[in-house]
Amino acid sequence: MKKRIFGIETEYGLLVKENNSGDFRLDPIEIANKIKNHIFSKNLGVLDLHYRANDEPPGNGGFLLNGGRLYLDMGHLEYASPECSNLVDLITFDRAGDSLIQEAVEELGWENNISIIKNNVDLETNATFGCHENYLVGRNFPFDERDNLKLLSSFLTTRLIYCGAGRIGSCNPHPFQDWDGVSSQEALDEKIDFQISQRADHIPNEFYRWVQYNRAIVNTRDEPLSDPSKYRRIHLLVGDSTMSEFATAMKMGTTTLMLEIMQLGVAKREWILADSVQAMRSISRDQEFKWNVTLASGAFSTALELQHDILETCKKHLAGTNQETDWILENWESVLNDLSKGPEAVLGRVDWASKYWMLNEFKNEENLDWHDPWLKSLDLEYHNLNKESGLFWGLEASGDGYRKTTDPAVDHAKRNPPRGTRAQGRGELIKKLIGQHSHIGYLIDWIGFRLSKTDDPFLMLDPFISYKEDIIEHLKQFETSYSTQKEIENSDVSSGESKKN
Amino acid sequence: MEMNDPLRREEKKETRPDQDKSGPSSPDSSRPGRDNLLKRMKKVDPKQSEKYKQRTGQ
Repeated sequence: MKKRIFGIETEYGLLVKENNSGDFRLDPIEIANKIKNHIFSKNLGVLDLHYRANDEPPGNGGFLLNGGRLYLDMGHLEYASPECSNLVDLITFDRAGDSLIQEAVEELGWENNISIIKNNVDLETNATFGCHENYLVGRNFPFDERDNLKLLSSFLTTRLIYCGAGRIGSCNPHPFQDWDGVSSQEALDEKIDFQISQRADHIPNEFYRWVQYNRAIVNTRDEPLSDPSKYRRIHLLVGDSTMSEFATAMKMGTTTLMLEIMQLGVAKREWILADSVQAMRSISRDQEFKWNVTLASGAFSTALELQHDILETCKKHLAGTNQETDWILENWESVLNDLSKGPEAVLGRVDWASKYWMLNEFKNEENLDWHDPWLKSLDLEYHNLNKESGLFWGLEASGDGYRKTTDPAVDHAKRNPPRGTRAQGRGELIKKLIGQHSHIGYLIDWIGFRLSKTDDPFLMLDPFISYKEDIIEHLKQFETSYSTQKEIENSDVSSGESKKN
Repeated sequence: MEMNDPLRREEKKETRPDQDKSGPSSPDSSRPGRDNLLKRMKKVDPKQSEKYKQRTGQ
């Protein structure tokens, strides 16, 4: 399967700031709800009219004009991008979600009262929340072979060195009983200054299908959200939310190439790590950035060497496939080469390194210790979506943020779907439901919709098809039969009334 | 793998032997935009991390 489809789901954190005047008394859940309702009140999407699940009642969320989805999930505002066929679209629509939410905060006049934080940990309580990645692969993708899962696990563990968002300190959870064998990890009580991953401390398993507890490096849930006979959706929860467009592109781009060499059967068994869970934690916590790993063969290597080796295999088998693949390969190589020069060499491209450099500069300037609460607060501020105050945006403003999108493209993506996937048809459906068909009921999901109990479900099982023209035609036919039905009902009512008279 | 000392920027700041505190200082070779970033960082509430109360999600 050469064509690609990607998606990203982001759970946002919400910080209620110090309220000196005492006139801002909403709690985070109320705030998240009001932000979501504000976005839908602007006709940027349609709220669900039906239960989607026990914890998703009507009005909890809905699909957007851009084909994506905004909702509340476990107390967090969550945005799921529409299905995108290329990396530039994906990053544009990922940022469009950030922008929709931050814009709502500012329109509600709350920019001084709250901050929307695109990170994955509460540094005080160690609560964690995710950024999930979705990759569409063919049903024949070799996902059931144990060694293949271990290869993917090795790749995901070592990609931390350029995909991690970094964090101050650590969380030392109690060791988990692995459902698939007991992990050798112990409860660690080391005091960590800084680590390169937000999620590493929260991933106790190598493989598992659940997403809230016992999170795994490779999530094995099989929920294709498409024709299950043709497709499989690889759904990963191990990654950090990334602020840098380059980091997001690398996270998604290199992973898709890894999946492609696995599909080709050319990924090398020698890359398998002795213990991915332990390696992920030790890579993340390595204060010297050496990132040593032990392979299943017993040999020693480093995350950087392993990534270079995977890159070389991808170059050998995938170079020249298309422009996007070549862009990924070129920039993958460049970031791996530059990582060995130190954090400043990858400023703006790698989030953990950008954060580390900024915090280190500040720490030295103010003569602080790594465990000073001010640094924790700055860690959060790196992820603030408010461009006037968020630290990442300061980096971008100084020209250090690598852009793959433009602001006008991000603005456009708030109201228009991407082309080349079924998100385009879904966006058209939402537009029609908001406009001339606002009187019609609906039930919408990723794989299709229906407009009434008697309407046949319109299935969108192939994510590569836009369905746009078919949806327009379906709506026309539905409107015709709806009008006819209404006329019959009206005439029945009037004839009933004349009989009464 | 060889890795530069991540704290090398602190080393850069060290006074060179030929520098006289009373004379003209050498041009600031720190990264452009660094000062603006530091200003941005100074405005952050040092205790905001304590107010960030999140639930565990997925």
